[in-house]
Amino acid sequence: MPFRIIGDTNIDFIGMRRPAYIISAIFVILGLFAATMMIVGKANLGIQFTGGTMVEGYFDQPIEVSELRDALARGGFEDAEIVHISGRSQPYTFLIRVKVAEGETQKAQSVVDLIKQYFPNNTFNLDSVHEVGAAVGKDLKTDTLIAVALSLLGILVYIAIRFDFRFGVSATIATFHDVLAVIGIFYVMNVEINVLLISAILTLAGYSLTDKVTVYDRIRENLKKFHRKADFVPAINRSINEVLSRTIMTGTTVLACLIILVFVGGPVLRDFALALLVGIVIGTYSSVFVAAPLYVEWEEKSPKRFRSQ
Amino acid sequence: MQGQGWKIGLIAFLLAGSLWYLYPTIDLYMMTPAQREDMAKNDPQAWIKLQQQAIKLGLDLRGGMRLVLQVDKSTLNPDEASDAVERAREILRNRVDQFGVAEPVIAIQGGDRIVVELPGISDPDRARELIGQTALLEFKLLESQELSSILIERIDRTLEAAAGLDTAGTSVDTAATPTERGELEALFGADSADTGSSSTGETTAPASPELTRTDTGEVLPPQIPRESPMSSLLDPSGGYGWMVAEDEVPLVKLMLARPDVQRLVPPDVEFAWGTRSEFVGGLEVERLYLVKKQVELEGKFLTDAKPSFDQFRKPIVSFQLTREGGRKFARLTGANINKALAIVLDGRVESSPEIQSRIQDRGQITMGGTATYEDANDLSIVLRAGALPAPVTVIENNVIGPSLGQDSINRGVSASLLGLAAVFLIMLLYYRLSGLIANVGLLFNGVFLLGVMAVLHATLTMPGIAGFILSLGMSVDANVLIFERIREEMRAGKSVRNAIDAGYDRAMSAIIDSHVTTMITALALFIFGTGPIKGFAVTLLWGVAISLFTAVVVTRVVFDFRKSYKTLSI
Repeated sequence: MPFRIIGDTNIDFIGMRRPAYIISAIFVILGLFAATMMIVGKANLGIQFTGGTMVEGYFDQPIEVSELRDALARGGFEDAEIVHISGRSQPYTFLIRVKVAEGETQKAQSVVDLIKQYFPNNTFNLDSVHEVGAAVGKDLKTDTLIAVALSLLGILVYIAIRFDFRFGVSATIATFHDVLAVIGIFYVMNVEINVLLISAILTLAGYSLTDKVTVYDRIRENLKKFHRKADFVPAINRSINEVLSRTIMTGTTVLACLIILVFVGGPVLRDFALALLVGIVIGTYSSVFVAAPLYVEWEEKSPKRFRSQ
Repeated sequence: MQGQGWKIGLIAFLLAGSLWYLYPTIDLYMMTPAQREDMAKNDPQAWIKLQQQAIKLGLDLRGGMRLVLQVDKSTLNPDEASDAVERAREILRNRVDQFGVAEPVIAIQGGDRIVVELPGISDPDRARELIGQTALLEFKLLESQELSSILIERIDRTLEAAAGLDTAGTSVDTAATPTERGELEALFGADSADTGSSSTGETTAPASPELTRTDTGEVLPPQIPRESPMSSLLDPSGGYGWMVAEDEVPLVKLMLARPDVQRLVPPDVEFAWGTRSEFVGGLEVERLYLVKKQVELEGKFLTDAKPSFDQFRKPIVSFQLTREGGRKFARLTGANINKALAIVLDGRVESSPEIQSRIQDRGQITMGGTATYEDANDLSIVLRAGALPAPVTVIENNVIGPSLGQDSINRGVSASLLGLAAVFLIMLLYYRLSGLIANVGLLFNGVFLLGVMAVLHATLTMPGIAGFILSLGMSVDANVLIFERIREEMRAGKSVRNAIDAGYDRAMSAIIDSHVTTMITALALFIFGTGPIKGFAVTLLWGVAISLFTAVVVTRVVFDFRKSYKTLSI
């Protein structure tokens, strides 16, 4: 017999939906709050979205963040954000972010000159410079929102055609829930929302959707076999249980891969992999506890499939 | 196995094709730095060809510079504006080519933006300077020293008056805008008489460090001297123009920007700063000039420009003019002997030589201030390439150091390999022989995707790798779906043959739906996303399509062979 992690299960997932709604409500509220903060510009948005200057580099000799902050403040960059980046081959690596006003982009050079002037005996080696004008940031924000909105719409239409309209709406809501939850969690963790993180969020939206489609696919198949109204909820439960081994297996494989990326992948991949990790856990949860129950709620409130009985 | 032949043929064909297109990439990245240098030196053509055929690494992975320039078309008429961006791109390409960068990308983005990517550049400041400048060269005449000092004196009086007037505004605004140069002196007389009383009142007041309000409600910074505020900061001793100590430059700029000062400047002249600072007696100074607005000759009449040295070993740019330009230049220089020329580049005065004789079609630009030979070389490049049709502003600037790029590649590659190994191991442990088949399918998937990227001449970036990983994840998921389904069918008592058929058939709808929905997402991102998001979308789009192919065709071929087995290792 094949080696199996779990045998045949019969868990009443739909019965557990009300406590799950509370968790989901918290996710959604947190996510909406974070999204609002992002739109008004209060969240930790990357400079690609806000415009600004980001200088990254390392010192040859030890240096304190406070020394660097003092020097920058005296040079007129009171609002500079300074982050010490650990885990690099160079121990004194720092990230410096300064804001720019509309129409200016030339601040990186002044920051570097200032550091050289204040720390003449401690060489500052530049790793990277990013300067983005404020107007570009606004454009990118709008473009990204349009792209995300359109892809959600496209998915809604596709699922509505392939399954039915209710599946489409439920899947879109559940995917939206996942995206909001991840944005909310990252807002609380104060992780910078940059273009790479947005690609991570889009990736997990894709993965989460795959997960929902798989569950719906089984529900669609099982609903063909059951014809009584009383069988409706058990059929859904059974579908979720049947795909559970696949859910766990795919989840484990992907998570194993991501955990390695988080710990070995280095600074650039870490936030990306972390976002996917969080997102995949939430996406898997929402397929079972949001997407399927939403469909059940809808059927119970206004029966369509079992109207005749 | 009937009907399998074409599938195997197709797979073999695709695999061979992918490897064929991947060969330059493998070749390039297997070379040691020494070997690369060797090839670049001995066979540059083959070296360039190899680089073009190999999959390129994005700037985020290999280091380099990326600039986004906004072309300001606001000053152009509709006719000029129509192809301004196109022309600007051509000129930028010329400049970059002469600067000597391997594989630059210069592309138009949206309606009025130009993206310039310079991989592996070592001096980003210089590159930015070279690309960002309009390079509009103009020959103008300097205003005579006599009239210049009259204007400065007049500015002094006005500023003194403004500083003296603490409360009620009275006299300063009565200074009407001078429209004719002949009126200057007449106006001066009226003005100085007018402000005389208030300036004497001012000197009796104790020098207070507090800010002084002018009649217009503006704040005059305390550092501005109360007496002769402007002329005390300007040193006219060193040749043409005035020298301003570096520390005081912001102050002078502030004073010049005041509307009451602006009104004093006659309409046919303007103040202009020198291109770069210089050291005079150990002090860093900048030069300020009063330049006539009339453009006597433009850079477009230049046919050639070369850097060299003059007899004092100072860097210069010697240029040659067209016939028409030569005629104009001869007329200009002939009529203005012993006067000062202002060589203006993008609104700043590069140098102000005195015209000593009539010059025809050859001349030289003395480089001002602390210019180096490299500066002269860069100026020659931009002059040869020509001026941009409209000014550009750098709205985005990214520089990634090569060490950071190398660091992220090393870590990214080792993490991806480890991650892949983990996936292989889990699949192998859980599904045994079937897991091995899935792993081989996954390898095929990776090779096909890289092959497509090589055919498309795509650039591998960090978000691109993200798309790659997601598509491999989907490929794993497709296999898991199929295997779980086959196991289910076997548990239900079906034979190996029937279980395999049923497993594939029933898993297929979920696989197709999940792949198509992901492709919809990728397509929306491809159409509406920009820059890094687009790179993600392209890899994802192809990756998902290939994943679907491997799940439906590649592993299926192997399973079709296994149908005749009595038991199935799954």
